[in-house]
Amino acid sequence: MLATTIEARQLSKAFAGPPLFSGLSFHAGAGLLAVKGRNGSGKTTLLKILASLAHPSAGSVSVRQGEEELSGDRRRLAVGWSGPDLAFYEDFSAPENLLFLSRAGGRPRSAEDLARRLAEVGLAGAMEKRVGAFSTGMKQRLKIAFALLFDPPVLLLDEPMIGLDTDGRSIVEGVVEARRREGLVILASNDPRDFVRPDQVVELGK
Amino acid sequence: MASNLPPSPSLPLPPSAIDGETGRRGDGETRSTSSLSRAWAICAKDAAQELRRRIAIASIFFFAATAVTLVSFGIGPFGLPAEARDRVCSALLWIILFFCAATGLPRAFVREEETGTAFALRKVAPASLTLAGKTLFNYLLFLAIAAVTLPAFSILLEWRLGSPGAMIALLVLAGYGLAVVSTFLAALVARASQKNVLFVVISFPLLLPLLLSAIVATVEAAGGSLPSTPLRVIVAYDGAATCAGYLLASAAWED
Repeated sequence: MLATTIEARQLSKAFAGPPLFSGLSFHAGAGLLAVKGRNGSGKTTLLKILASLAHPSAGSVSVRQGEEELSGDRRRLAVGWSGPDLAFYEDFSAPENLLFLSRAGGRPRSAEDLARRLAEVGLAGAMEKRVGAFSTGMKQRLKIAFALLFDPPVLLLDEPMIGLDTDGRSIVEGVVEARRREGLVILASNDPRDFVRPDQVVELGK
Repeated sequence: MASNLPPSPSLPLPPSAIDGETGRRGDGETRSTSSLSRAWAICAKDAAQELRRRIAIASIFFFAATAVTLVSFGIGPFGLPAEARDRVCSALLWIILFFCAATGLPRAFVREEETGTAFALRKVAPASLTLAGKTLFNYLLFLAIAAVTLPAFSILLEWRLGSPGAMIALLVLAGYGLAVVSTFLAALVARASQKNVLFVVISFPLLLPLLLSAIVATVEAAGGSLPSTPLRVIVAYDGAATCAGYLLASAAWED
């Protein structure tokens, strides 16, 4: 399979007031890219831009598979994302949420596959429970399962350890280690313990 | 507690699953599905959500029942002169349908924003498909409202429709335009702070041509003739609304 790369060129983002970041450029192809920075430095916004969930004020992002630049659904599903702003349908169970999202994404998953994915993030015992009754840590685990739903070659994890217990942290660490060997993981966090030997570092708000 | 809720309707299968298109791959992924199946999945999700909550749909039908009852008590079957009857009843019918729709249709997008599920939806589906799925749900909801309201209105006001077939065609066509424009506007205002006010203010001028044509067509259908001219206007409106909605979906729904 061709390697998937992500390239940011001269990215800037401003809301009201001074820009969060400007002239940001990097190219990442494999391994772990750590996005560091103080609170409010734009880590979450940067990951949303990379995930095509927000537009930069200036600059561009391209996702390539080999020489081909991805667009539309292929790009959307090639980049998995989990972040603090992500939420799920509280009236539905975790498998129902993932089933719906896989159908809406055009790649429906089987019930067995969803059960396996949820078991991998430690939610095997909560298959019938509605997401509205989930704890913060359980919701965080479901976010990880969502980010991995389409087996994306690029994985964007924004503060993935929030609310997780020791087991949950181990699961996310395992996911990051496995995925960085097969593709690219971009991880944003305030906690230096979340980054184990990053291959690249992008520091915001210096 | 959510876990104490009564048994819930499950997510309906998309057409692809029904027609046997879902041959599995080894990795647990079924075949990629068509845009129609994806839009249907979004529509089915909205329907399952509304049916689980029940109160939202119940409130729309309660609103319709209250409005029809008040109108019937207010003017009654004999409170109108015969020559004005079709015009007044047609206008009242569409006012009731419009306000029932305005109560329920914007919810589709607003709830996604308010609960934070919009990010998950944006991550998996393009804006045009999301708009199509939500329009489909709103259209079916409008038809359900109309299916209850029109007979009740007709019976309580003893208002006989000369051409029921034309009236059904009118509801199908005008309801589609109403659903498309309302859904698009709901996407547009979903992130605004005064979304309810904005929705009503923006929808009034945009829906006015549709509603006026629908009222004229209803008068003609009630009189027993085929309202061909206003129906043509409505078909043209539906086409323009569909094209505009498709082209502007991304601008309305994405960041």
